Amino acid sequence: MNGVSAAQRFVPSAQLRPLALNVVSIVAFLAVWHFAAAIVNSPFFPSPYKIVQAFVTLATNGDTMGNSLWAHCWASLYRVLVGFAAGVVLGVPLGLLMGLVPGLYTATRSIVEPFRFIPPIAWIPLAIIFFSGLPRFAFLIFIGSFFPVFTATLVGVARVEQIHRKVAIAYGASRYWVLTHIVLPTVLPDIMGGMRVALGAAWLTIVAAELSGGTSVGLGRMMVNYAELLQIPEIVVGMVLIGALGFAMNEILLLFERRLFRWRWQVTL
Amino acid sequence: MQEAVKVRAEITHRYGTLLVHDGLELAVRENEFLCICGPSGCGKTTLLDIFAGIIKPSAGQVLIDGEEVDPKRHNISFVFQEPSTLPWLDVRDNIGTGLRIKKIARAEIARKVDDIIGVVGLRGFERYYPHQISGGMKQRVSIARAFATDADLILMDEPFVSLDQPTREKMQREVLSIWEHRRRTIVFITHNLEEAVFLGDRVIMLSTKPARIVADMEIELPRPRNPVDPGFNALRARCAALLQEVHEGQADVLPQKV
Repeated sequence: MNGVSAAQRFVPSAQLRPLALNVVSIVAFLAVWHFAAAIVNSPFFPSPYKIVQAFVTLATNGDTMGNSLWAHCWASLYRVLVGFAAGVVLGVPLGLLMGLVPGLYTATRSIVEPFRFIPPIAWIPLAIIFFSGLPRFAFLIFIGSFFPVFTATLVGVARVEQIHRKVAIAYGASRYWVLTHIVLPTVLPDIMGGMRVALGAAWLTIVAAELSGGTSVGLGRMMVNYAELLQIPEIVVGMVLIGALGFAMNEILLLFERRLFRWRWQVTL
Repeated sequence: MQEAVKVRAEITHRYGTLLVHDGLELAVRENEFLCICGPSGCGKTTLLDIFAGIIKPSAGQVLIDGEEVDPKRHNISFVFQEPSTLPWLDVRDNIGTGLRIKKIARAEIARKVDDIIGVVGLRGFERYYPHQISGGMKQRVSIARAFATDADLILMDEPFVSLDQPTREKMQREVLSIWEHRRRTIVFITHNLEEAVFLGDRVIMLSTKPARIVADMEIELPRPRNPVDPGFNALRARCAALLQEVHEGQADVLPQKV
């Protein structure tokens, strides 16, 4: 077996091929869109070119209220990051605790589990009453990202193999060492997977939260403003930016995963 | 020739209502290579776990150098029967695991790991992860991990059972040579009688549950031993006959310690 060379060495052709294929896909997608728009020929079905135009205008002149496009992006991104970080910071330790202390999860299951099924959006009314500004959005995103991380961690703890624990104990490891050197490395791939699911939930929530008002900036807010003006290209610009930002953050997490989990044979997708 | 006693055990252990050991008494001499044989399911692995302090016996105790066993205080190494490499660490870091637990300085760990890696024939594989190497190599990693620490008690639970015959023989010779170079006390569990007679200073045969000692034999063959030597064959045959009796339930339980 000579897995090291395949797994660890950078092979340009193997990396460039998917990239080239994706460029082809994007071009094909835009072409189909362009021709469909030309056939329909309606202001309600703008062509990709119109979207680019709207993007350039927004990027250079800002929106009708004088807020720049970057202010909108940054506002949403910042809220997502704060809420997401809070979800991870609380989800991981709580997942570990519930997973490691036998009985704790079993005893509180009937409280913990139903919470999972209350969608973040259902928390918006309460959030509107209790919070305003950043805390409101951060809270909603926290709700959205906490459970994916918490559940993934909880499930991951069950994957810790008894034999690995025994190795550590036999060589005289403390409980803390077992936690940091056996449990955490085992659970980390699950945590990272949970974080990527949480990220999806976070973006889902931020737009819904911004649509519900209470702010003048944010990509969701910007889209609602243009919806009221029936300006479709600007709405689509908002959608594309949300997709792009989410995609970029997901890629960053994947990059971390690939670096951290070279020891795993299966590629996590 | 009364040598120092390394391990003194007197154990009763049950799993629920199942009595595994019933007042089993056993002493291991300092620097001795002790092999323990017995029918499968007689509680050999449990015995070793108790020796290591991983499991507490239901009653009785294990004394190492006269003190109750504690893996945090005593310098014990363990080679498990099943694969026990940590999949997220490469070969090098796996071998250094015991040393890192014992908080040895980095440079010292690097040196010790480097020493042992050649002995077990894993040079060139330092940066490989367990999933990239064969089962036999993984077991060699576990053995290297056990010998890298300067443990004075090494517990080995059928460590070669997953290896093919040539590798098994090679590993037996390697373990012997490490043991001869750096004297340690080794307790080695096997159900392979030839292996027991080849390796051990002494072979202990256990009965079926509850495990009792049915034979305690000093193997006084000169080393290096030759498995086709008549003396070797005679001893192996004697062990085989004993094991047969154990299976048929005829073996007399030895009055403890002859």
